[in-house]
Amino acid sequence: MTVLGYVANGLVFSSIIVLGSIGLSLVYSIADFANFAHGDTMTVGAYAALVTFGAVGSLGGAVLGLPYGFFLALFIGVAAGAAVAVVTERLIYEPLSVDSIGLLITSIGVAFVYRAVIQIGFGADFTRFEIGALRPIEWLIPYGIRVTRHDVAIVASAVVLVVGLHLLLQYTDLGRKMRAMADNPTLARVSGIRTRRIRYWTWVIGAGLAAAGGVFLGLFNQLSPRMGFNLLLVIFAAVILGGIGSVYGAMLGGFLIGMINQLTPLLSRLGEVLPLVPDGFGIPIGIEYANAIAFVIMVAVLLARPTGIAGEEAV
Amino acid sequence: MSLLRDPVAWATELTRPEAWVLASSGAFVAVLVGAVAIGALGPTYFLFLVGLAGMYALLSLGLNAQWGFTGLINFSVAAFFGVGAYGSALLTADASPIAGGFSPIAGLVVGLFVALVLALLIGIPTLRLRADYLAIASLGLAEVIRLVVLNERWLTNGSAGLRGIPSFFAGWPVLSSFPETMPGLRITVVPGSPVVLETPFWEAALNVVVIVAFTLGTYAVLRRVHQSPWGRVLRTIRSDEDLARALGKHTYAFKMQSFVLGSLIMALAGVFYTHLNLYVGPGDLDPITTFYVWVAVILGGSGSNRGALFGGITVVTIREGTRFLNDLAIPVDPAPLRLLLIGVLILVVMRYRPQGILPPQRELIWPAARRSTAPATPPQAGDRTQRTTGPTESADKSDADAAAGVTDDGIEDTTGGERDE
Repeated sequence: MTVLGYVANGLVFSSIIVLGSIGLSLVYSIADFANFAHGDTMTVGAYAALVTFGAVGSLGGAVLGLPYGFFLALFIGVAAGAAVAVVTERLIYEPLSVDSIGLLITSIGVAFVYRAVIQIGFGADFTRFEIGALRPIEWLIPYGIRVTRHDVAIVASAVVLVVGLHLLLQYTDLGRKMRAMADNPTLARVSGIRTRRIRYWTWVIGAGLAAAGGVFLGLFNQLSPRMGFNLLLVIFAAVILGGIGSVYGAMLGGFLIGMINQLTPLLSRLGEVLPLVPDGFGIPIGIEYANAIAFVIMVAVLLARPTGIAGEEAV
Repeated sequence: MSLLRDPVAWATELTRPEAWVLASSGAFVAVLVGAVAIGALGPTYFLFLVGLAGMYALLSLGLNAQWGFTGLINFSVAAFFGVGAYGSALLTADASPIAGGFSPIAGLVVGLFVALVLALLIGIPTLRLRADYLAIASLGLAEVIRLVVLNERWLTNGSAGLRGIPSFFAGWPVLSSFPETMPGLRITVVPGSPVVLETPFWEAALNVVVIVAFTLGTYAVLRRVHQSPWGRVLRTIRSDEDLARALGKHTYAFKMQSFVLGSLIMALAGVFYTHLNLYVGPGDLDPITTFYVWVAVILGGSGSNRGALFGGITVVTIREGTRFLNDLAIPVDPAPLRLLLIGVLILVVMRYRPQGILPPQRELIWPAARRSTAPATPPQAGDRTQRTTGPTESADKSDADAAAGVTDDGIEDTTGGERDE
């Protein structure tokens, strides 16, 4: 594959990572803890979509190679992710009388319950959506880009969701309240903002975006009960790179981490790709270490600039 | 109050949770021993379970030294455990791809050393920052270690794992040939199903001796350091790091020491596991191990070494119990069932008893101070008694609120109480 081909793949993968990291960062800044169940929320969304798609079928027509039924399944998956998150907030997090560290530990328990239920229901094996694989788009192949129309649909949907979130945060009443609460929850509360309701909305948006990311991940790769948990490290790396608590930082961090993740094969032949670098030069590292690179970036960010690109105080 | 010197006073001093834990543990052990006696449970398997319980107790003590003492969230318990296990396996196994054939003591040293390096590597970037950064980074570290073990076949033999590991006492005088020289015993408790004790049993018995020595040694060390001025600084950091810093403590150094100490204990458990299981594979680094240990610590009581021991044993019951359940009655895949149990246990503990079943109470109080206010001795007027009365009295209450209060009291006392020494 050419450099352009890897970049195109990176674009698709980073759309998924961006969807995951935005939700994590939102919950981090408003509910005020690192939610280790976020990856498994993605899994919940993906499996809810899988069940729906299996039930409704393709429903006639198709957009970008995806049947209408898939978009309905996507919608149901997002709704299921949001609903599960709100129920979890109501039943588990809200009645707790522990600090944010206690919530963090609790979220591990939540993650395990999600994953265990899915694994009991669907088994530990990989599955796929029942959508025939497409051939890569013909006119892009000469450039070395092998993307399908499904990949285009993933990127387009992610862009729509991210722009939608941006408009919501900047121009709606709810968005202003959310930003106020992320800034200073006590001040938001005394100003008359119903902080509890805003927390619920945060969960709806954060988990909904994560669930969408999970559905797309299932379309891009395949589904398994561990799919979300395995991605958690990459998403956390994205959030730390962007800066904990900053939604726009998370978008940028998610984009960069997703891109680097898919560009890993290029590292071993840097010399051929980059100008000014001797031809034989390369960092000998296999694609199996793509997640490890995210970790190395995370540690480097923590050493050099713990606030990330746009985050709050880290100490 | 000492159990040997005055058992009655010792028994009456127990809090309700303590008495409950003691009674249920006793009953549980009695059931298991009974099962061995009537032949329902193989004696060798029973000793294997004891070894496993000791290993989890040791891991829990290690995590307790990090999370319970200092409030450091380490989600890479499995990595430190795995590094200890692989370090010692690579040095001692015949089939080791790099060295192999060394004495288990050399394996122990190497395993601990690698864990030390790893702890420093992950501690340096994260321990200056807020507590949740360590949680995130250590989860990543565990994944990276697992990837390396899985993929670097030249170093770790990849997914095939390592076999041909000698027992811990290989090369020692007497002990190395002890299991073979012991005669086979037949003990008939119930007619028709005799209990047979042969070489594997004596091997398992030696393993139990090793883990008991490791665990008791670690327990004694941790108990001592927890009560020392060093341990009190750690407790202060846990409840209010700014306060510790305001008192002039270099909190980063203290956190690092506590983190390294805990990681070394985890690696020690890994070394033991190598010689218990005689096989090490990448599956042993699964993140689930980390969370078994977390459940053990928060269930037992964060900061309480006794609690960690109790939690470790409970976790083995869950782990092996689900396997048993699967063999016996319900055909459910044990893997997700364990996951569910662990998850639900975390939720239930955090919701209803966040301080755990055996929260640290009297074990935080210096023995001399405790004796001076014990009911048997008449209270003496004096500066020392005055100072220690507060925490001791509240420690004797058994309800949960008092327990939470004790920690605070204890810490306020200790930070001011540097003058004691």
